[in-house]
Order: sequence, then structure tokens, then C-alpha cells
Amino acid sequence: MELLLPLLAALLVGAGVFMVLSRALIRVILGLSLISYGINIAILLAGAGTGLAAPPLLDVEGPYVDPLPQALILTAIVIGFGTTALLLVLSLRAYQATGTDHVQEMTEKPDPVEVLGSYADPERPSISPEFGPEEKLSDTKEPS
Amino acid sequence: MGFAVTPEFLLVFSVMAPFMGALVAPYLGSWLKARAGYPLILCFVPTLFLIPYAPAARSNVPLEAGFDWVSAIGLRVDFRADGFSLMFSLIVAAIGILILAYAAAYLGKTERHGRFYSYLLSFGGAMLGLVLADNLIALFAFWELTSISSFLLIGFWGSRKASQDGAEKALVITALGGLALLVAVILLSIAGGTQQISELDLATLRSSPLFIPALVLLLIAAFTKSAQLPFHLWLPTAMEAPTPVSAFLHSATMVKAGVILVAKFGFLLDWGVFSLVIMYVGLATMFWGSYLALRQNDLKALLAYSTVSQLGILMSLYGSGHAFAATAHLVNHAAFKAALFMVVGIIDHETGSRDISKLSGLRRKLPLTFIVALPAALSMAGLPIFGGFISKELFYEGMVHEGFLPILIAVTGSIMTFAYSLRFLKVFFGPFRCENPNVHEASYRLWLPAAPLSLAVIAFGILKINPLKGLTFKSDTLAVWFTGLAAPSFGYEAEHLYLWHGFNLALGLSVLTWVLGVLLHLGRDRFHRVQQALTPAWNNNTIYYKSLAGLEHFSSWFTHKTQGASFATHLRIIVATFGLIGATVLWRYWPAQLTGVPLAFWLVALLILADVVGVLSATNRLSAIIFAGLAGVASTLLFVLLSAPDLALTQLLIETVTIILFLSVFRFLPRLSTYLRPRSLTLLDGLISLGVAATLFTTLVAVQTPIADRIKDFYLDYSKSIGGGYNVVNVILVDFRGYDTMGEITVLSIVAISVFALLKIAVKRAKAESQDDQIS
Repeated sequence: MELLLPLLAALLVGAGVFMVLSRALIRVILGLSLISYGINIAILLAGAGTGLAAPPLLDVEGPYVDPLPQALILTAIVIGFGTTALLLVLSLRAYQATGTDHVQEMTEKPDPVEVLGSYADPERPSISPEFGPEEKLSDTKEPS
Repeated sequence: MGFAVTPEFLLVFSVMAPFMGALVAPYLGSWLKARAGYPLILCFVPTLFLIPYAPAARSNVPLEAGFDWVSAIGLRVDFRADGFSLMFSLIVAAIGILILAYAAAYLGKTERHGRFYSYLLSFGGAMLGLVLADNLIALFAFWELTSISSFLLIGFWGSRKASQDGAEKALVITALGGLALLVAVILLSIAGGTQQISELDLATLRSSPLFIPALVLLLIAAFTKSAQLPFHLWLPTAMEAPTPVSAFLHSATMVKAGVILVAKFGFLLDWGVFSLVIMYVGLATMFWGSYLALRQNDLKALLAYSTVSQLGILMSLYGSGHAFAATAHLVNHAAFKAALFMVVGIIDHETGSRDISKLSGLRRKLPLTFIVALPAALSMAGLPIFGGFISKELFYEGMVHEGFLPILIAVTGSIMTFAYSLRFLKVFFGPFRCENPNVHEASYRLWLPAAPLSLAVIAFGILKINPLKGLTFKSDTLAVWFTGLAAPSFGYEAEHLYLWHGFNLALGLSVLTWVLGVLLHLGRDRFHRVQQALTPAWNNNTIYYKSLAGLEHFSSWFTHKTQGASFATHLRIIVATFGLIGATVLWRYWPAQLTGVPLAFWLVALLILADVVGVLSATNRLSAIIFAGLAGVASTLLFVLLSAPDLALTQLLIETVTIILFLSVFRFLPRLSTYLRPRSLTLLDGLISLGVAATLFTTLVAVQTPIADRIKDFYLDYSKSIGGGYNVVNVILVDFRGYDTMGEITVLSIVAISVFALLKIAVKRAKAESQDDQIS
């Protein structure tokens, strides 16, 4: 008993990690789900141990198991769902945008260094666009 | 309801009024357009009401006021209108008023007026605050505010690459100084034990080891802000700002902030090597600025380099302790340089050009502008009857005391100053020449705001050497009023200084300056060719751009090297580290204890094992999703067995919703590609996963001691009496840890909104694609 449940948690997390390291988008998402199952069990064990006791409902007879890890895990389950849902739709968009579900191929490339355009000339400051010589303004000008 | 305007309130209000104006300006700007400048003049008027407190400041009982800023950490904003501060804030307010009136006529119809006035007024408030601040931290805050408003104003025509570049350069350099100032004020307040500038004590400070670093940083701040060598490069490109801004910020007021810093903290700097450093940096800046001003063809660029040069004069005078000469020149320079910038603005407004080689004889077409420009330019040249002469004489006198090299640099610089002043005036003389033949005199609304400054330039000069009034200072003249006001701040006595020095060395040097200046002006073409030939291949502008580009390349390279690896590689490194920890200590916890496990647990364990194998070996997305879901259901069963009914319920619900979510986007999902890893990588990932599993296992076996019982007992005991519920887990969630749950709900709502938005885009996109497929 002391070993079986830790083994199960470790199995879920290990399998999850293996999938997260994979190259297909869906495997990564499902891998994360497996990890969160495993971790939930781990929290429960770490906090409450494996001793069997009554659920923390005060209208049944004690002794009760520790309610605190359960409360923590309940939060974790719900947040885990939020993570999975967001990840799922984000991956979907990434797949649509990049046309691939190969995680490595989605790798972001660093922005190229922008070559600085024209510098301010200390010997020839600009004149007000309204009465100076005509010049091309870029499209960043806001509508007045 | 009586409301008395106390002097203290007036002092604080005079700093706050421009900021209030900055809030109103956007609305006024969209209503009155450029003319919003006229009503906004009111923002600087409260400062003028401080004039009655000048006599008190002269007798060294300055007006003081302040308020708590962040009382929890002892931050205060204190103002102190001592003589020098009051004098300079009057200059700021007076020029501010004229500039607002000028801008109201200068700005075109299509400018973003509200924004312009808003920035300009925030600058005005920040500058007044900076001058009047008597608190180190407040001083720093206002200092940074001036840098930011200067940045916004330089980049006002931000659609131009040149404006962006000029604004960026000014910000990079002045913010560098700002950081130095921040550290300096912190060191000073630690070393001095107080944040009040007026309470800083030299003896206490000198005994602290932080004193010297603080002074060095203070100097860096002063040199960057006041465009001293080698930081001067930002000032010429700051001329990308509209001309009213150049007249206000980049000649008369903001660029003097560094000088003010040196003046305010002069009592700290006035010893040994610091004086020498400041003086020589100032002199070098003065020389180099006037040398470069001489080669400019653009009127505004000429004035910009001239400002650099004149700031050098101020810096060297304050640094070497000639505070009276410095203050006199400060007042003079503010007046003539602001007037000249306004004149340049009128010229480019009317002719559309500022090119000295293309303009001449403007005196005929712009007679009134010429009348305004003449005294200001001659004052800049240092000719008698104008204020500039007096302060130049004082400058020479001061430098004569400092030795041969300083006076040599001073005279050489002044010769070039004389020559470029004549060069400036050249556009008014000679035959009329201009690309735009229809030039006519500017509206009175443009030249009238510049006129008082020109009058002041004359008044500063004439009132001082009026032979009818005698040749010594009379305390009732305008110039003495200004310089005398600052007297208690520096401890000099204006009354003891004689204006007429007789035929002494300084006058002789002045005559020499004029003669050589005229010769230099006549031989300017030859001198220009020499200057062109001497143009170095690199200067500090190229260094600036090179180092900027270098910095970008370095960051890019660094990011690439440290963050460039793929996501999977990063992940492998992280989890492998985690795995290694467990794998190394696993052997310690390996007692075989699998007996005595109830059958139900074995069944669940079997189910989980099957699911894991199923997910890992699945070849299509549907079965993978279902196996993963089943693993969730299996953990639900486990929760039931472990007496956690709430968890089981939640997990089951969430599992259902997750499956629904997956299936709802199922048809848009990519197929489960195999993307087989290379065998070696599979092995590596397998090892990593095993390591992670081992770590988790070891940890769980090692820490299987329940949390201290009293926590558990607390919740079990009080759940009913405090929380009023039998289900302890629920009570914890909604009562004891209610805020956590609220945070969780917030997170979920954000996720829900994001998922909805992303899903909407995704579905729309997918539909569009499928339609395209059908069409094609």
C-alpha cells in the first residue's frame, strides 16, 4: 500500500513527461493531463498518507482523513482543466497559423536585428512639416 | 467658507499648476487648436506671484513648503524657494509664458495641439519642481520627468525616422544620467542622514566613504543633462523638436538642469580635483561647441552647438566657484538664446528654410524680426551695451584667475562665438535671397513674444553700465535684481563687484576677441575648408550608433545562445535535472512492501497501467484522447477509495467537460502524426521520464508522514462552528480559503473568455479554409 500508490503516481507522471517530450502537439496536451493526474495523487498521498479513514464529512463517524490536501487538489483539478482547455485552443490556433503540429517546427526564431534607417542629422534638423519642404511621412501619422 | 491662500500653498501650487494645465490641455487643444496656448499661459502665472517673497529669499529666509508623498516609507516632497531657485523658477515661468504665446502662433493647423501643450506644460511643472525641490528623491523624480517630457517633445513629429532617432538618443543619454543621479541621491541621503538638501552637512558627508562615489555620479548626471563633452551629442539632434520646444527646453531651461545641479551642490563639489574636472570639462565643451557651431549651415543647428558651448561656460564658471559670473551669464543666456530660437522659428515659418547659404537680406522682408534678433545675437557675441558683454567680461575675469590654459581656451572659444554670431546675423544682411520669393513679415503674434527677451538683453546691459547712474551696481536695476537674488544661495556679495573694471586684462581680451572674431568671420570660407578637411572619420555620433548596433547584436546573439534551443531541448534539460535527483537516491527507499493492498486498489492500478499503455501506443487521436480520459476516470476511482468523495465528483465532472471540449474541436485538430523520434532520442526521453518517475516515487515514499495533526484538527473542529458546514473540504474552499477560490474563479473566467475568443477565431478560420477547398 505504501508503495503501490506512489508507483501509480510515478507511472502517470513518467508517462506524461515522455509524451510532453514528444513532437506531436496532441501528445503534449494529453501528456500534461497525465502529469496532473499523477501529481494530484501525489499531493493526496504526501499530505494524508495512505491510512484508510472516513471521508471528512462530519455527519459520518470519524476518524477522518485530512481534509486540507483534498481542498488543495480540488483547486488543482479545476485549474488543471483551465490549463488544458487554454492549451488546447492555443495549440489549435498555432496549428492553423503555422500549418504544422510538429512542436519543433513551430520553434520561434529570434527577431532579426533591425537595421537602423535614417539617423537624425545633427547638422540638419527637420523643419515643421507644415512649412518646411515637402517630405514623405510614414503611415504612423495619426488622424487628427 | 474662507479659503486663505497661504504662501506655502502658493509655492506648492506654482509647481502643480502646469501639471493641472497638462491635464486640461488635450481638451483645450481639440477645441481651440493652436490658440489653446493663450489660456494655458495661466498655468505659469502662480509662479510670478512668488515675486513678493524675493526680498525674504534675499535675506536668506526662503519660503518653504512640502507634503508627504509616500508617508509609509518616509518619502516627502519639499520645496524651498531660496534665492537661486526662485530666480531660476521665475526664468522658467517667464520664458514658459512667452513660449506658450509663441507656440500658439507657430503651430500649424494639422498638428496635434492638445498633445503638444500637454507635454510642454508637464515639462514646465517638472522643471519648476526640479528647481524648487529641497528633497533628494523629489529632485530625482522631477529630473526624470523633465527627461521624459523632453523625449516626448523631441519625438513630437514621431512619424519621422529622424525625430524618433533624436528622441531616442536624448532619452538614452539623459536616462543614463538619471540612473547616476538616482544612485547619487541615495548615497547622499545615506551619507548625510537626511533627504533634505538644505540640511545636508558637508562635514558629515565628507566623513562618509560614500561621499566620493556620490559626487562622481552627481557629475555624470550633470554632464549628461547639460550636454557636456562627451555627452553633448544628444542636444543637436534634439533640435528635431518643434522650434518653440527648442527655445524652451533645449536652450533656456532643461539643459541648464545639470548646471543647476552643480550650482545647488556646489558646496559639496567645491574642492580640489572636482572643481578642476568640472572647469576643464566645461571649457572643453565651450571650445568644441563653438568650433562646431561655426561650421553649421542650418540656423537651428548653429544655435544648438552654440548652446552646447554656452553650457560649457556655465559649467566651468560654477565648477570653479565663480558663481556670480555664472549666474549673470545664466540669466543672459536664457534671454538671448530663447529669443534667437524664436527668431529662427519665425524665419523657417516664413521662408520654409533655415539654410544660411540660401538665405540673405531678410532684413528687408522681416524688419521687425531683425530688430528682435539684432540685440540677442550681439549679446551672444559679447558686444557692449548688451547683457552678454557683462557676463563675458566676468567669465574672462574668472578664467584669468584660473591660469593661462583656461583663459586661452576661453578667449579662443569666444572668438569663434563672435564669428558664429556674425554668421547668424548674415542672413539679415546683403541682397535679398530666398527660395520662396513671397516672404513677408511674420504676424505680430510670432515676433511679439520674442520682443520682451530682446528688451531684457538690452536692459541687462544698459541698466548696468548707464553712465548717468554711475558705474557701480545699483541694487534697483533689473540684472542686479536677478543676480542679487541668487546671492544668498552662493554666499557672494553682488554689491562688492564693480561693473567697470577699467582698462584691465579682461577688457583687453574682449577687444582682442572682437578683432580676431571679425577676421575669422571675414576668412570664414578658408576656415570652412580647413574644418571640412579636418572632419574626422568617426566622432561620438558614430560611436553612439556603433555601440547601439553592437548592443543589439550582442543581445540577439546572447538570446540566441541561451534561449535559442528548441522548446523540447529546454524541457529535457529541466526534467532531466529533476529526474537525476531522484534516480541517485532511489536505492535508499526500496523496501518491497506491496502486500496487504486491498483488491480494489489493484484493480485501479491495473486500469491506470492499461490506460497509460493505451495512450502511449495510440496511433489515432480519438483513442489517445479516450485513453487519457480513462486515466482520469481511474484516478476518480482512486479518490473514492481514498475517502475523497468531493475530489471524485469534481474529477468526474472535469473529465466529462474535457472530453466534450476535445470532441467539439476534434474535427479541427491535427491528426495524430507519428513524428517518430530517432531511436537514441526515444531512449533518452525514456530515461528522462523514468528518472522523473523515480524522483517522484522516492519523494512520495520519503515524505509519507502526515502533515501536523493540529492543522487537520483545526479544520475538523471548527468547520461546523465557524464555517457552518459538515463537508469540511467544501468549508475550507468557500470559507477558510475563500480568497483562494475567488482567485481560482477569476483565473477560470479569464480562461473561459480566452478559450471562447480563440475558439471563435479558430472555427471561423477553419470554415473559411474548408470553403476555399470546395471552391478550388
